Amino acid sequence: MVRPYAIKGKKRKTREEKYDREEDEEVEVEEKESANRGSIEKPKGEAPDEEEEEDESGAHELVGIPIAPSDQNTKKAGVIFVLEKASLEVAKVGKSFQLLNSDDHANFLRKNKKNPAYCRPDIAHQALLAILDSPINKAGRLQAVYVKTEKGVLFEVKPHVRIPRTYKRFSGIMLQLLQQHKITAVGKRESLLRLIKNPVTQYFPVNSRKIGFSYSSEKLVKMSKYVDAVDDDVNLVFVVGAMAHGKIGTEYVDDFIAISGYPLSAAMCIARITEALAEKWNVL
Amino acid sequence: MAKHPGTNAKTKKKAKKKGSKKSGPDAISMKLKAEKSNPFETIWSRRKFDILGKKRKGEELRIGLSRSLAIQKRKKTLLKEYEQSTKSSVFVDKRIGEQNDELGEFEKGIMRSQRQRQLKFGKKSKFNLSDGEDDDFDAPGFGSLPERDDFDDEILSDDDNDDGGGATNKRSAILKQLNSHGAQDPSERGLVEGEENQKHKSKKEIMEEVILKSKYFKAQKAKDKDENEQLMEELDKNFTSLVQSRVLLSMTEPGKMNALKALVNKGVPNEHLNEEEFPVTQRAETYKQEQPDSYDKLVNEMVLEIRAHPSDRTKTPEEIAQEERERLERLEEERLKRMLATDYSSDEDGENVEKDSSQRPRAISGDDLGDSFALDEEPGSKKGWLDEILERKDADDSEDEDEDASEDSESAKHTGEDEGSEEDDDDERERTLSLKDWEQSDDDNLGTDLDEDEEEQEHDDAVGDEEDVEQKGCNMSNKTELKKHNGESVDAKKIKPSIKRTSMKSDIPFIFEAPRSLEELSSLLENCSNGNVIVIINRIRASNAIKLAAENRKKMQVFYGVLLQYFAVLANKKPLNFELLNLLVKPLMEVSMEIPYFSAICARQRILQTRTQFCEALKNQENGCWPTLKTLFLLRLWSMVFPCSDFRHAVMTPAILLMCEYLMRCPIISGRDVAIGSFLCSMVLMVTKQSRKFCPEAIMFLRTLLMAATDQKLAPEQDCQDFYNLMGLKALRPLLRIHDFVDEINPLNFLMVMDMPDDSSFFSSDNFRASALVTVIETLRGFVEIYDGLNSFPEIFLPIATLLLEVSQQKHIPEALEDKFNDVAQLIKQKADEAHRLRRPLQIRKQKPVPIKLLNPKFEENFVKGRDYDPDRERAERRKLQKLIKREAKGAARELRKDNYFLYEVKQKDKALQEKERAANYGRAIAFLQEQEHAFKSGQLGKGRKRRR
Repeated sequence: MVRPYAIKGKKRKTREEKYDREEDEEVEVEEKESANRGSIEKPKGEAPDEEEEEDESGAHELVGIPIAPSDQNTKKAGVIFVLEKASLEVAKVGKSFQLLNSDDHANFLRKNKKNPAYCRPDIAHQALLAILDSPINKAGRLQAVYVKTEKGVLFEVKPHVRIPRTYKRFSGIMLQLLQQHKITAVGKRESLLRLIKNPVTQYFPVNSRKIGFSYSSEKLVKMSKYVDAVDDDVNLVFVVGAMAHGKIGTEYVDDFIAISGYPLSAAMCIARITEALAEKWNVL
Repeated sequence: MAKHPGTNAKTKKKAKKKGSKKSGPDAISMKLKAEKSNPFETIWSRRKFDILGKKRKGEELRIGLSRSLAIQKRKKTLLKEYEQSTKSSVFVDKRIGEQNDELGEFEKGIMRSQRQRQLKFGKKSKFNLSDGEDDDFDAPGFGSLPERDDFDDEILSDDDNDDGGGATNKRSAILKQLNSHGAQDPSERGLVEGEENQKHKSKKEIMEEVILKSKYFKAQKAKDKDENEQLMEELDKNFTSLVQSRVLLSMTEPGKMNALKALVNKGVPNEHLNEEEFPVTQRAETYKQEQPDSYDKLVNEMVLEIRAHPSDRTKTPEEIAQEERERLERLEEERLKRMLATDYSSDEDGENVEKDSSQRPRAISGDDLGDSFALDEEPGSKKGWLDEILERKDADDSEDEDEDASEDSESAKHTGEDEGSEEDDDDERERTLSLKDWEQSDDDNLGTDLDEDEEEQEHDDAVGDEEDVEQKGCNMSNKTELKKHNGESVDAKKIKPSIKRTSMKSDIPFIFEAPRSLEELSSLLENCSNGNVIVIINRIRASNAIKLAAENRKKMQVFYGVLLQYFAVLANKKPLNFELLNLLVKPLMEVSMEIPYFSAICARQRILQTRTQFCEALKNQENGCWPTLKTLFLLRLWSMVFPCSDFRHAVMTPAILLMCEYLMRCPIISGRDVAIGSFLCSMVLMVTKQSRKFCPEAIMFLRTLLMAATDQKLAPEQDCQDFYNLMGLKALRPLLRIHDFVDEINPLNFLMVMDMPDDSSFFSSDNFRASALVTVIETLRGFVEIYDGLNSFPEIFLPIATLLLEVSQQKHIPEALEDKFNDVAQLIKQKADEAHRLRRPLQIRKQKPVPIKLLNPKFEENFVKGRDYDPDRERAERRKLQKLIKREAKGAARELRKDNYFLYEVKQKDKALQEKERAANYGRAIAFLQEQEHAFKSGQLGKGRKRRR
């Protein structure tokens, strides 16, 4: 019998260099770009701060005009998001396994003496979308997303996953992930989502600052200012709760802050964070 | 048979255990009560992950308990085997009833006594006839094979160790078995079946039954078929007799009757011939084979005889209007497509011409003759053509109305003088066309004095060329003709009444043969009024309409050539009959719609010829190389006949190029040149209005004229350098410089200007200059309007704007003219500003930030855990089986390991026992020896000695 997939050894190798993936890509991009530039020597310097909207047609027509240098390729500190207490629970409803949500399984949950108000996988979905859709992810500054479910299952979400935008498909993917422990890419062996061992702290880079968010925190800050104060080389880890009610645990969090006087949804909170980060890093 | 009390007891115990094991919980409870509780057995397995809604089936699993149970099982099986393994013989308990656990002692006894009696009976009745009494001895416990006698059964069951007596029995039993199971002869089988119960049918029996049934049904079917055939035969016989009896004849149609007869006769003679030779059945067969075909045919004919077809509903006026509207919309779409389709490809590309022509089959007509001629595209394209012209007419109408209104109020504001006059003429023409009656009363003399001395020469050449072309054209069009003849008769009917109606009004003959040459035509049209000329032409067209006859196409083509020639000749005549020219335009347009290919070919030929003439004229420039009135009129005609807005057109593209060449290469010497040039400019404007093609020549020419209006003192600026280079060949004089005060500006009459000699004083008059300038400025305004979308608008028009301002600053410029100049300059400035505003400064190209490459996760819609989602089913299946094999192998290995461990323990225990025994023996022996030694050493003090003593 022929082996259907790639050789195992290779896979193991890629897994080892967990945070080097970006570097590899960057090297590739740089090579390509230098090939594009050809004979034209690009002026080394800082990219202009205010990037204006580019006239597309002009860019296409004018081949001879040199390309402005972009600062996308240099290695920088990244950001990690941790979604705590996400209510992603698989249950056997009827004959099939399903991801519990409050809409479809209210009766089932009541029958099993659970509060439907706590079963909110849509929060995790929205939060994931907010993180993965943000410009800082598109710019490659997001290192990883970790999700810890209420049951204590921890899984990693790679930054280059295209999470399904509809809830139904999201629930399908979560169901498969929680049962199979791994989701691979289409047509590749690379795993995009996979269950990993607790605790989550072992996956953080060394020089990282863990920031938790809570409405109940006394420390109300303006996000942009707070982020600006952090050094450039510090990796930021944001711990956001993806649950309907309650508070995230504080075991490994360095700093506990509130970024609004109002209780925010997880997606909104993440939007604020990513906005502030984009402003700080000049990602437009 | 030997019996062993020990083994018996053992088996009994085993049986008890087996029996008790059947009910699990009881066993556990018994064990728990009986044995001392093993603490490990009380431990329940715990599940790691609790999944909501999942049944807790595997929960009550106690690993310790199951292990001890497995050990006990091994003790019962493996240990036994192990113990037996070293033994060469074994005691087998073969007492009756001893194998069956459920029987009590008493029942066993009964059974044994029965067997005893039976045995005795069997031996005695060895030679007696059997009366089936054997079956009575069947005990309920031995009911496994009731049809066999139990004696044999018993023998068979223990065939391992049968003694001498059993051998014969065995053989007979096997024979019997063969008999009963072999089932060679069904009779015996059936007998057996009858005797036995139905529920004991074996599979084979059932199958046999099924086969029998199917055979029966087959036979039944064959029988039915035979019967049917016989019936059919009878029917056929009856039918033939009926046909021959002529009763039917009176009731059916004769045609059908014949067919029937033929049918019957075909069958009947056959029958008669064969009757003696063939038996009845065979005859029937032949009859049957032939009969159905012809009969079916007849039936089919009857079915298909007459059917009333519903006619199409007549369309309501709304529907017709809707259809017409849709058609027009579609045509407009087509036109736009033709205008824009090839906009991507640049104009300069030479090879694109061919590509275009392949894309738009219509354009082939002129491009290459016959090579890549597309038949099927012709009708559609023709339609489009026609329609466009109709549309344009409509547009003209509306425009004209506007112009009429404005004309009355102020003539100075009119759009360009010659343009204006042209347009005026156009609408005059249309008016006259619509009001034929009025026209016919109007008796204008057709100029009889044809001064065709040199023109004739020239045209003969042209005709010679055209004849060749015509031949080719005919070949082409003949192919297309065939298609068009479908609706011709209807059209012809329509046409004829109209002929009659028009002919009522004068004494012109109704039917004309199409003239074959210019002489014929001009002799025909001699001494006719303008109106009559048109009537004659219309009648020629009507009587030789293409739709009437195939050869008419060729006639019409010849006629078209002649008519075009006539038009050209007329345009060159000195006292210009402008009205007739206008009237001729309509038939020319209509004919060229009918024969688009040919008209395009004619036009191209003429353009080519004009161009060569122009090139000749350029070489000796003293007699002026500007186009004659004829050329101008022809160009104007083509611009009306052919669609100007097409991106590339077989006629219009060369025509425009020719016009531009005129503008570029002809030197401006006299005022007449100015007039012709500005007329050409206005024509270019009109042609490019819709498609917004950029004609730099026209703009350059207008600029040159404006330069001519200044006093030539302009310092050549840097940006104008190339402009002056281009202008070099136009010996520029201040031709249009206004020297004196002009009180009124009249629109320029182009025809009048053309009539005047070069050195007429009118050209040097300020009036002419002013009106020429008005023309120029209006044309320029038109160009400004057209080209405002160009990227390079400021570069093209800003120098002109400064020039305009300069001209307007001059001394004697009349008020109205100055206003116009300022207006246009203002317009240019405004549009240039707009264009400037839209421009963006040159900047370094920014690379769009490249987003990270996203990957789609692979997941299933309805995921079920454990299912293989491999699309390759075979592979999935194989993997599943392999998984199963692996699991089984693992399980087997585990069992074997456990067995080995168990055996090892047993062996160890045995060994330990042996060792112990050996040690005990050894100790005893040693003790004896020691005692002896002791006695020996102690000297006579032993026990024996004492005893002996």
